[in-house]
Amino acid sequence: MPGEHAAGPQTLIGAGVLAVGAIIAAGAAMIPSEAGYAGVGPNFLPWLVGVVLILCGVLVVWEARSGGFRNMEEPSGSERGYWPGFAWMSAALLANAAFITSIGFILSCTLCFVLAVRGLRNADEQGATGKGFNAAQLVRDVVIGLAIAAPVYWMFTKLLAINLPGLTNTGWI
Amino acid sequence: MDLWNQLLMGFATAATPINLLWCFVGCAVGTAVGVLPGIGPAVAVAMLLPITTKVDATASMIFFAGIYYGAMYGGSTTSILLNTPGETGSMVTAMEGNKMAKSGRAGAALATSAIGSFVAGTIATVLVTLFAPLLANFAVRLGPPEYFCLMLLAFTTVSAVLGRSTLRGMVALFIGLATGLIGMDQISGQARYTGGVAELLDGIEIVLVAVGLFAVGESLYAVLYEGGTAETQNKLSAVHMTKDDWRRSWPAWLRGTAIGFPFGTIPAGGSEIPTFLSYATEKKLAKDTSEFGTRGAIEGVAGPEAANNAAITATLIPLLTLGIPTSNTAAILLGAFQNYGIQPGPQLFTTSAALVWALIASLYIGNVMLLILNLPMVGLWVKLLKIPKPYLYAGILIFATVGVYGMRQSAFDLVLLYVIGLIGVVMRRFDFPTAPVVVGMILGPLAEAQLRNALSIGEGKWGVFLERPMSATLLAIVVAVLVLPQLMRMWKARR
Repeated sequence: MPGEHAAGPQTLIGAGVLAVGAIIAAGAAMIPSEAGYAGVGPNFLPWLVGVVLILCGVLVVWEARSGGFRNMEEPSGSERGYWPGFAWMSAALLANAAFITSIGFILSCTLCFVLAVRGLRNADEQGATGKGFNAAQLVRDVVIGLAIAAPVYWMFTKLLAINLPGLTNTGWI
Repeated sequence: MDLWNQLLMGFATAATPINLLWCFVGCAVGTAVGVLPGIGPAVAVAMLLPITTKVDATASMIFFAGIYYGAMYGGSTTSILLNTPGETGSMVTAMEGNKMAKSGRAGAALATSAIGSFVAGTIATVLVTLFAPLLANFAVRLGPPEYFCLMLLAFTTVSAVLGRSTLRGMVALFIGLATGLIGMDQISGQARYTGGVAELLDGIEIVLVAVGLFAVGESLYAVLYEGGTAETQNKLSAVHMTKDDWRRSWPAWLRGTAIGFPFGTIPAGGSEIPTFLSYATEKKLAKDTSEFGTRGAIEGVAGPEAANNAAITATLIPLLTLGIPTSNTAAILLGAFQNYGIQPGPQLFTTSAALVWALIASLYIGNVMLLILNLPMVGLWVKLLKIPKPYLYAGILIFATVGVYGMRQSAFDLVLLYVIGLIGVVMRRFDFPTAPVVVGMILGPLAEAQLRNALSIGEGKWGVFLERPMSATLLAIVVAVLVLPQLMRMWKARR
């Protein structure tokens, strides 16, 4: 069971559920209710979902404040998150979103791959000191990233004719 | 005889070289996905949904179905050798199979699970062939009230019964339903929650949610919490079963199939319950229980593996005949059908007969392919387990990008993907089930349409659900499913 330290995050989750419920309910108020024969219109389910989510949010907050979530399975992995690794992977995903249209799928995904590998490797070597920057490893990561991204790209653009952004219009890079 | 002809026609379609190739690639991808920790069949199918824009319906459904049950074969390999179940259905295999592998019997465990999967998968496919058309004939008579109640039953079981907490299951389900609300209302055409953004009129793509929750969420979780956890891999021994192994496996396979199949057909989804039931049965029936949990009993692998495969194959019955998905992957398969403008349901067997029968025929073919892929070639797949984790998870991100970007060509979707990934991490960390989100999102709009049609029939009166015997019965089942477990718990607490 989670101890005192989990009450904060759990309450936050409950608040999040409440907020989503409130947004859905507020949106429901703006949907017209031409019900026709059914007696319930396009705003019925939105209201229901909004109200139930608000109720659930209240219950989640209550569980969080009164001893934590019930019947929790202990989450796998370590107790504390490794945030530097998380930052690397977040950077990887957001950089991919930012650059994919300008530098093309292959390069953007390779960049994403390299950044993510860096974060994951750091996570594996937590505590190990004196590793530092390793140029050979970086080159290897880039090559492996290219070796995954490029064939995937070709398979989609050439074989399946699905549009993916490229640096050029050739469909090769 | 009509059935036989249609099945033969199905084989004729499924056995064309191009469809055989799709089936084979699907089985291979499925096995790989099952073997690799971190991605399951649901996310693999989701990532590959963009192909629905270019590949014809029959070929891609054969392909996706191959991934679906291929992953079950591959999942057991990982469970036996690594003790990290690739997917939930393999949890029991992980317990007993891992014990067998530790005492040097990995090969026998792999063999009994592959052959057991084949036996169960094939028997289940025969049952699907026989019963799906019958059920479709019956289901034609169901009206909107009955459909709505069936969907309500699916919602209830997937959210309230299967998880550890009804509350967290409900939260997940309603978040899914809320996501499903975004876009154009099916009946009135009213735009909801689009904020004036034209792209949102079509709703949120399933790919985005499934890949975000499962693939990106999984990778983020791995980097946050699972760094530095070294896994030990058991040694692979010759994939071979002795005469005694055969004698002990046969009955377990058949019992597992008998337990698994019914569970797949009812909208109570998932293969967790049947695999555990099968395990308990085998343990009870065994004359010598000393091997269970110590050296590993072959029955404890054979039974649950068969139950798993039978249940997975059986989920195709509610999916094809009623249009009701009872698992994550089935929900995404439903999404794939929708991409083609095909709505699975009782009419499917008449309107898209060629496709359905080709799909069913491909199950027979696929099971044979998978047996070959997983028995003599198991050593090849085991090599996949040697991929270093950083490369594995970072590689998953590339495939996630293809799936999401390929669907709608929007860089903004990639930002959304990240956000949904974050939600996935929170859900995993705080033990929220994810299946209800996907099922709610896909089934929600359909259930809403059925509800409103039902009320139109009843001229706005809710009594319509109680006046019709079928829907009243179904409602009673829903209530029972909700109330009985609580009563059982209270009863247990009082003793």
